[in-house]
Amino acid sequence: MTISLLRQWILTPISNYRLFHNFTKQDFFGQFAASIGGFLWLFLTPVVQIITYAFVFRFVFGIRGPEEFGETSFVIFMVIGYMPWFAFADAVSKSPGLLLEKAPLITKVMFPTQIIPVVGTLVPYLTHGIGFGVLLFYLAVTGYLSWQWLWLPLIFFFQFLFTMGLVAILSALCVFLRDLQQLVGLLVFIWFFLTPIVYPIGMIDSASIQLLFLFNPMHSFVNIYREVILLDHLPLINLQIIVPVSLLSYLGGGWFYMRIKHAFGDVL
Amino acid sequence: MSPEQAAHRISVEGLFKDFKIYTQPQDRLIELLLGKPRHEVFHVLSDISFAVPSGKSLGIIGVNGAGKSTLLKLLVGTLQPTGGNISLRGQVAALLELGAGFHPEFTGRKNIFLNASLLGVPDENIEQLEADIIEFSELDYFIDRPVKTYSSGMYVRLAFSIATMVRPDILVIDEALSVGDMAFQKKCVQRMNEFREQQKTMVFCSHSMFHVQELCDTAIWLDQGRIREMGDSDKVVGHYEDYCSNKKVYHSIREDIPEELKQANADSEGEGKGEGGVQDCKINSLSVKSPEGNELTSIPALSDIVLEMEIEVLVDGMEGNFGFAFMKSAEEPIASFLTTGVDDIEKGPFRKGDKITVALTVKNMAMRVGEFYVLGGLADKSGLLWYETKFSKLKHIDANKGVGPLIMHSEWSVKPPS
Repeated sequence: MTISLLRQWILTPISNYRLFHNFTKQDFFGQFAASIGGFLWLFLTPVVQIITYAFVFRFVFGIRGPEEFGETSFVIFMVIGYMPWFAFADAVSKSPGLLLEKAPLITKVMFPTQIIPVVGTLVPYLTHGIGFGVLLFYLAVTGYLSWQWLWLPLIFFFQFLFTMGLVAILSALCVFLRDLQQLVGLLVFIWFFLTPIVYPIGMIDSASIQLLFLFNPMHSFVNIYREVILLDHLPLINLQIIVPVSLLSYLGGGWFYMRIKHAFGDVL
Repeated sequence: MSPEQAAHRISVEGLFKDFKIYTQPQDRLIELLLGKPRHEVFHVLSDISFAVPSGKSLGIIGVNGAGKSTLLKLLVGTLQPTGGNISLRGQVAALLELGAGFHPEFTGRKNIFLNASLLGVPDENIEQLEADIIEFSELDYFIDRPVKTYSSGMYVRLAFSIATMVRPDILVIDEALSVGDMAFQKKCVQRMNEFREQQKTMVFCSHSMFHVQELCDTAIWLDQGRIREMGDSDKVVGHYEDYCSNKKVYHSIREDIPEELKQANADSEGEGKGEGGVQDCKINSLSVKSPEGNELTSIPALSDIVLEMEIEVLVDGMEGNFGFAFMKSAEEPIASFLTTGVDDIEKGPFRKGDKITVALTVKNMAMRVGEFYVLGGLADKSGLLWYETKFSKLKHIDANKGVGPLIMHSEWSVKPPS
């Protein structure tokens, strides 16, 4: 039972490739349909946010790039954490509405609904993945490129799996608990500030509190990106955290979703 | 599986569906956490069993809320049954909602792709079908405009074209034909008939009895979640229509004359007085009698009846025509009788104070079931302007043997072999 559910979940994009492809295309391009800015917004939004954060934290609060990262400016230090976070936050914030928006489809058309959280995660990752890619290109040209970078796609993929599990759980739960829509927005806001993105973790004095951050998988992701890109070094402790956590989230979330998806029709 | 079962595209056995009704949304959560039931159970469908053989089509009829849509959703698989079995063999395409899954910002053409893949069309076929779909939908240049600009008719045309073009083995349709103009409806019916010729199976739910009769071999009449009648579609539709028309009259009439009729009477009186202040005439009484002269409230089928009204003339020189009608309601006639084409009766002019009795004998009353009012009236010479009308009390036809709304005077003969 569990095995077959997990198999269905894992194979979803392959066994329903055509649907998966069309859904992704529709949702990806649907973001910009009928807007004049179109793809421009894709770059404008993070750039404006980055400039704002950089202004507040670098110039108002006077936070500097941490010394252990060498000569790096604060803005680059921050952006490397911010871009992947943005993909995560976008996917998770949208997750409660995923199934509710598609309610007419789910109740009226028989199709593998697990495609919805998969596409719902993939589209933000594609969207912001482009931004992240542009950033990496810039960093590569300015001389940060190293062999260690080969880790990056893999880490980003694990982050994707981690997110997908959460999205599956949240989207399914929200069918039954509409309040999650508001709650998730708040939680993502808190999570953002509990992840050392706009400040270096070194600003926290107590070493024991710094250890507590290891419970936040997003901290591990962000730290890996930074150390790999800026220091040519893969922090093993973070890697040891994200691999099991991502797999657990992906499989657990998928299992949960597949278990309760049959009840959607009754509630939606 | 026996050969007989194998021939069934759809078979449903002992199907039950309950909905849990929660008064408040948090009740669902509390029940989940504490395990204490906090809902009321609502039985939407009880004990539904039927089978549809390959190449046959099934109509589902019933009043709103009878469970038709729920049954279709269970068939399609978007709802899970509480009990019982459903088995469908073959590719299913469903049109439960018009253009479910259309993205409003995208063009019709782009939407064809997602929609067709939702219906499970094999990868390579969509491109091939695209031109056919566009042609059948008659959307022409609208196909490259966003679907949000479509009228509801265009919406359903595109949706119907996609759903039927993908050539499923089983097509499930909910009320799709009620939108769209007559020409397109006709095309849809043609398309669905082609389907039947290709030995495809259809399940069709509609309020249009005409379409159900036209397109379905068998029909199921659902009433409060149960099968009330199942069988030949003509028969089931006939009984259902009977039931509906009876129910309508039953509900609308609390007393002998419903409000709308009283209103109609009051209106016509008001008008009469308004014009010149004096009425031309007045209907003193209106009665329905047997040929022997007994007043009737119920009428035996096939009997002769006499409609009679007494008219008092209020102005000198009045002349005109007389009429009677059987009315279902103030607006809905069943049969009418007018003297405009009849020359061998006295039509005036009459003098003020005259009292005339007009009688009409109706032979072999052809209604088999139902209730009606008798309307008596007086019109001008042309028969177009009505001076005065009056409704009788509600009459009904006595119970009798047979089916169908009509009964006719008839004679049998059987020639023995010589």
